[in-house]
Amino acid sequence: MSLTRRDVLLAASAGFAGAALFSPGSARANDEALDLVKQLTGRTAIASDRLHLIMPAVFPTGYTVPMSLDIDSPMTETDHVRQIRVFAPQNPIIEVASFHFVPQRSLARVSTRIRLAKPQHVVAVAEMNDGVLLMTKAWVDVATNGCA
Amino acid sequence: MITPTPRVVVPSVTVKGEVFQVKTIISHEMETGLRHDDRGNVIPRKIINRFVCRYNDVMVFSVDLHEAIAANPFFEFSLRATESGRLDFVWEEDGGAVYALSHQLTVA
Repeated sequence: MSLTRRDVLLAASAGFAGAALFSPGSARANDEALDLVKQLTGRTAIASDRLHLIMPAVFPTGYTVPMSLDIDSPMTETDHVRQIRVFAPQNPIIEVASFHFVPQRSLARVSTRIRLAKPQHVVAVAEMNDGVLLMTKAWVDVATNGCA
Repeated sequence: MITPTPRVVVPSVTVKGEVFQVKTIISHEMETGLRHDDRGNVIPRKIINRFVCRYNDVMVFSVDLHEAIAANPFFEFSLRATESGRLDFVWEEDGGAVYALSHQLTVA
């Protein structure tokens, strides 16, 4: 089932300030992203600088926004990234993609191009082999709606 | 609709233990199911929903794609060379169609 923005806003209507995710400089943006991850996954993530989500701060079109992910991980059997999920909270459908990696065989990095409906924080969540969730985010200002 | 055509860029020869880059792309509209035609009818969703890379039949990288992956889905990722053999790339489309490519890799 796809997560829609409506599902999350309905779930959030009891008081969660979902709207605040829109502001780039908000000191609360981290907390808001963590709350979002909690809603979407039911689990608590930790903001981490081991995750590098590289996206342009400003991009002319929302149709093909470059996105690179790179996670500091030795990718050994005992210390590796299982998967990375990417969310665009202001898109009509929030979930963007999940990337799955294999210890010893793949590095925890990937590049692709995504659609963004409006300026927003893109959120990446890495699930480590021990089940810990690490989170980071990147503010992207797109000039056109890539989902229309 | 255009016929989806996959392409990959992978080295043919590499060194054991080294990391090599894989670039993949498939021509595909990635119709999101959010758009309407001229008469106001929803254009049904048709996207590539999964991409898998196997290395000698072992899955080494995969992606679950949702509507927000851009048209002509492109992925660049990194694998470690373990032994000579075959890389298989598979793209799965809504409705069950599958597009595939293979590549022979020699590990010296």
